[in-house]
Amino acid sequence: MKKILAFVMAAMMIIGMTACSGGANYTENNTEFIIGVSGPLTGGAAVYGVAVQNSAQMAVDEINAAGGLNGVMFKFIATDDTHDATKVAANYASMLEGGMQVSLGTVTTGPGLEYSKLSAEDNVFFLTPSASGDKIPEFDNGYQMCFADGNQGKVAAEYVNSLGLTEIGVFYKSDDAYSNGIFEQFKENLDPSIATVETVFTGEASDFSSQISTLKDCSFIFMPIYYQPASIFMTQAKGIIADNAVYYGCDGFDGLAGQFEDFSVIPQEVSMLSHFDSNATEGAAAEFVAKYTEKFGTDTLNQFGASAYDCIYAIYNAMNAAIEAGETIDVTISASELCEILKAQFNGGFTYSGVTGNDISWDESGYVAKGAVKYVLKEAN
Amino acid sequence: MINLKNAKWNHYINYIVVAAVTIIFAILSLTGFLESSDKYLLEKIAIAITLAVSLSMVVGFLGELSLGHAGFMCIGAYLGGKAAVILEPMLGEWPALIVSLVIGGAVAAIFGIIIGLPALRLRGDYLAIVTLAFGEIVRSIFMNSSKESFGGSLGLDTPRFNKDILFIIAFVMVLATLAVTQNLIRSKHGRAITAIRDNEIAARATGIDVTKYKLLVFAISSFFAGIAGVLYSYSNFTVQSTKFSYNYSIEILVMVVLGGMGNINGAIIAATLITFLDVELQTILTGNLAVLQDLIYALILIVLVIYNNAPALKPFREKYNIKTFIGRFRPHNPSKHKDDEAKWDRVPTKIKMDEVLSVDLQVSSPYTPDKPGKEGK
Amino acid sequence: MEFIETLINGLSIGSTYAMIALGYTMVYGIAKMLNFAHGDVIMVGGYMIYVGLTVSGNPIISFIAAVLSCIILGITIEKIAYRPLRGASPLAVLITAIGVSYLLQSSAQMIFGSAPKMVTVADLGSISFSGLTIPVYVLVTLICSVIIMVTLSLFVKYTRTGRAMIAVSEDKGAAQLMGINVNRIIMITFAIGSGLAAFAGLFMLMKSPSLSNTLGAMPGIKAFTSAVIGGVGSIPGAMLGGILMGVIEAFSLKIPAIAPYTDAIEFLILIIILLVKPTGILGKKRREKV
Repeated sequence: MKKILAFVMAAMMIIGMTACSGGANYTENNTEFIIGVSGPLTGGAAVYGVAVQNSAQMAVDEINAAGGLNGVMFKFIATDDTHDATKVAANYASMLEGGMQVSLGTVTTGPGLEYSKLSAEDNVFFLTPSASGDKIPEFDNGYQMCFADGNQGKVAAEYVNSLGLTEIGVFYKSDDAYSNGIFEQFKENLDPSIATVETVFTGEASDFSSQISTLKDCSFIFMPIYYQPASIFMTQAKGIIADNAVYYGCDGFDGLAGQFEDFSVIPQEVSMLSHFDSNATEGAAAEFVAKYTEKFGTDTLNQFGASAYDCIYAIYNAMNAAIEAGETIDVTISASELCEILKAQFNGGFTYSGVTGNDISWDESGYVAKGAVKYVLKEAN
Repeated sequence: MINLKNAKWNHYINYIVVAAVTIIFAILSLTGFLESSDKYLLEKIAIAITLAVSLSMVVGFLGELSLGHAGFMCIGAYLGGKAAVILEPMLGEWPALIVSLVIGGAVAAIFGIIIGLPALRLRGDYLAIVTLAFGEIVRSIFMNSSKESFGGSLGLDTPRFNKDILFIIAFVMVLATLAVTQNLIRSKHGRAITAIRDNEIAARATGIDVTKYKLLVFAISSFFAGIAGVLYSYSNFTVQSTKFSYNYSIEILVMVVLGGMGNINGAIIAATLITFLDVELQTILTGNLAVLQDLIYALILIVLVIYNNAPALKPFREKYNIKTFIGRFRPHNPSKHKDDEAKWDRVPTKIKMDEVLSVDLQVSSPYTPDKPGKEGK
Repeated sequence: MEFIETLINGLSIGSTYAMIALGYTMVYGIAKMLNFAHGDVIMVGGYMIYVGLTVSGNPIISFIAAVLSCIILGITIEKIAYRPLRGASPLAVLITAIGVSYLLQSSAQMIFGSAPKMVTVADLGSISFSGLTIPVYVLVTLICSVIIMVTLSLFVKYTRTGRAMIAVSEDKGAAQLMGINVNRIIMITFAIGSGLAAFAGLFMLMKSPSLSNTLGAMPGIKAFTSAVIGGVGSIPGAMLGGILMGVIEAFSLKIPAIAPYTDAIEFLILIIILLVKPTGILGKKRREKV
C-alpha cells in the first residue's frame, strides 16, 4: 500500500509539474527583453561562467540605467551548466520557455556544441562571448565574439614561424576542446622544420612538475591553455626553465597577471595573442577593467567577462541599428523573429567597437573579424 | 479467467504505473501539451530509472558494490552513438535506433562480463575500486580517441531523436528493464543470486554455480546500462566523455541506496525524485543562486539518509510513516488470510564490507587473530 | 639524470598521495567506512592556510591553524553525519560521506568565490648538485611523510590509544566489552585523519599554488586507489601505494605517447595488482569463515 501511494504521488508530482500551456509563443507576456546564457557557475570552470554573468549583468544594468531600448528594459538570466553538455538542454528549454528572446549561447565550448544545435532548431540568435570552438557557429543563428580556436592556432603558428626558431615546447590540455582546437591548427600550420616537444595534462591537474622537467631545455613554450593552469605552470617552472625563455599563449592567458600578487616573480617573458588585456591602462578596455574591479574585484576579471560585456552591447547596438533601419522590435517579439532581424544586421555589415576591439564585424559563417594583438604581459626580468 | 483479486498486485504495480505514466505523457505530448523542457526531463528520468534499476541488480541483489556503472553507460553511449551515426543514412531512423540499442547494450554486456571476472576474486571495497578504475579507464580512452573515431575531446556528434517520441521509447526501455530484472529476480535464479549475496560460501555449498550467476548479473546489469547509454546518445547532440566520471556512477548509486537496497520500486522512485530535484534546482537557481544547488542537494541527501537509516531513529520512523498512517483508516480484519510468501527479495542487503571482508588496521604485526564471525556464523 | 629527476618528482607526488591515503586507511581500518569527504577536508585545510596567510602572514601559524581547524571539522563531520549511522548499512554512510563532500565544496565556493586563489606558502627555492636540480619542497614533503608514517605506526603499535584502535578495528563489540570507548576511538581516528589532510593540503599548496574548491577531489580518489593498492588498513601499505602511484604518474607523464592516458594507466595498474593480490600489496589475507 505504501508503495502504491508513493508511486501515485510520484506520478502526480510529474503530472503536476507540467504546466500545460502549449503553443510556441513564450514571449507574449514579456515586459522586458530577456537575454539568456548557460555557463559554468559552479564546479571547476566556475570562474569563467561567473565572469560572464557579472559582466553581462553589468552591461545590462548600464543599458537599463540609460533608458533601455526606447524605454524597454533588458533582463539577463544566467543558468548553470557546470561545464556539462548534458545540462544544456534543460537550461535552454527553461530559458526559452521563460521568454528568452536572444542569448549569449554558452560560456564554454563543450556545452556550446549542444547549444548551437538546440538553438538552431528554434532559430534563436546567439552571440557567444567565449565558446571558441570552430563548430560553434555551425548554423546561421550562431555568432562568436571571441576568436575561433582554429584561427588562433593558425595565427599563432604564423607568428612562431616568423621567429626563426628550431625547437619549441608545447604544453596543452589534451582533454580540452579549446586547447586541442588551437593546438591542431597550430601544428598543421607550423613550419615542419621546427621541432616540437609536446607535453600534455588532463582534468583539473594542479601539479606539472613532470611536464616542466620535459620542457626544461626549451626556450620558447607555446601554451594554448587557460590562465589558471598556466599560472601554476609558471610558478612551478621557476628556476627550472631558463629565465630567458618565452611563454606564449592565446586569449586564454588573459587574467594571468591577476593570479600573482607580483607578476615579476616569474622571470620569463610572457606574451599572448588576444583581443583583450585585463591590465589595459587606456581605452575602452581600461574603462571596463575599472568598472568591473569596482563592482566585483579582480578575482574573476578576465577576457570572458570583457567579451560578454561586448556581446550585450553588440546585441543592443544591432537592435538599435535595426530599428533605425525601419524594423519594429516590440518587447513581445518572438525569439525567431528577433533572430532574423539580428542575422540581417550581423551579416549586413554591422560593426561594433567596444572593449575587445574596434570595428568588429562578422561574416556569414558567424566568425568574428577583429584585430588580434600580441600583448606582452610581462617582459623578461 | 484471471482472478484479479488474488493477483499479486505487488508484482505488477510498477509495470502498471510506469506504463500508465508513459501513456498519459505520450497523449499529452502528441496533443501538444508538453513543453520541450518536460520532454527533456522525462527522457532524463527514464534514463535514470534504467540505470538505477540495472545497478540495483548488482548492488541490491548480488550484493557487490559497483562504482563503475557510468563506464558501462559510456561504452553504450559511444558505441551505440557511433552505430547510429553510421547506420542512420543506410537504414533509416527507426531500424538504426533498434540496431544501435542492441549494439550498445551488447558491447556493454561483454565488458560487464569482463569486469565480472575480477568480481569472482575480489570482494567489497576492492571490487568497488576496480569498477571505479574501469569506469575511469573507459572514459579516458574515449576522451583521447582520435577525432575520426569517437571525436576525442570535442565529443561524438550523434543524431538526436525526435524529442516528441524519444521519451516514450525511453520509458518502453524502462519497462523492458523492469521485465527482465524482476522476472530474473523472482525466478529460481533470483533466489540463487540473493543466496550468493547473503552467504556466498553457503550458496556454493548448496550447489549454486556462483561464477555463472555473478557473470550473469554483471552482464544483464551492464547491458541495460549500455541501453541507457544509447538512449543518452540519442537524447543529446553530442556525447562527451566528461559526463561519465565516477561522480556520475556515484549519483546512480545514491539513487539505489536511497531507494532502499534490493528494492526496485524504491530505486524507481528515488531515480525519479533525484533527477527531478536535480533539474529543478538547476533551472530554478540561476545566476548568483546557482551555488546553492549543491548545498541544497547535499543537505537533502544527508538528512534523508540519516532519517532513513539511523538506528536511533527507528522507533520514530515506525511511528510516523505512510504505512501506519494509512493503516489507521483501514478496517482491521484479523481473519484475512495473510500471504505467507517469503519476502526474500526484500531482505535488506548487507554489503559484505563489514562482515566477510573486513580489513583491519595493521602495523606489520606478525600475527593477529582472525575476527570471530558475527551472529554465530 | 632525467630518470633520477623523474623519480624524485614521482616520490614527491607520491608522498602527497601517501599523506591522504594514510588518512583514508586509518578511517577505513577503524570506522570501516569509505570517507569520500576526505579529499574535501584537504581543500578546507588549503583554504585555512590561505586565510591564515592573509590574516597573519606567517606560514607556520597559518599551518597550525589549518591543522586545528581540519581536526575540528573532521570531528564535527563524524559527530553530525556519521555517528548517527553507526550500525546502519555501510553504504548509507558512504552516501552521507558524498553528501558531506558536496556540502563542503559548495560552501567553499560560497565563502571564497569561484575564482581559484593563488597561495604562496613559502618559496623554499631549489638545490642543485652534480647536474640535478631538486626543489626543496620535494625533500620537505618526502621527509615529512616518512616521519609521519613512522610516528603513526609507532603510535598505533605502542600507545594505549593506538592499541585500542587496533582492538576497535578487530571487533567493535568485543572492544566495547573490554572497556574501550569506541566512539571516542573513532573520533580520535577522524581527528588524526583530518589532521593529516591538512598536511596534504600544505604539501599540495607548496607544490602548486592554485587553490580551488575542487582541489581535493581527484587527489582524494587517487589516494584512495593508493590505499587499496597498498592494502586498505595497512599504514606502511598506504605509504607504499601512494609512492608507487606517484612514481607511475611521473613516469607516464614523461612519455608523450601515453601521457594523456596517465590516469588510465594508474587505474590499470591498480586492477592488475588487485588481480594478482586481491587484498593489495601489504594487505592481510583473511580466511573466510562460515
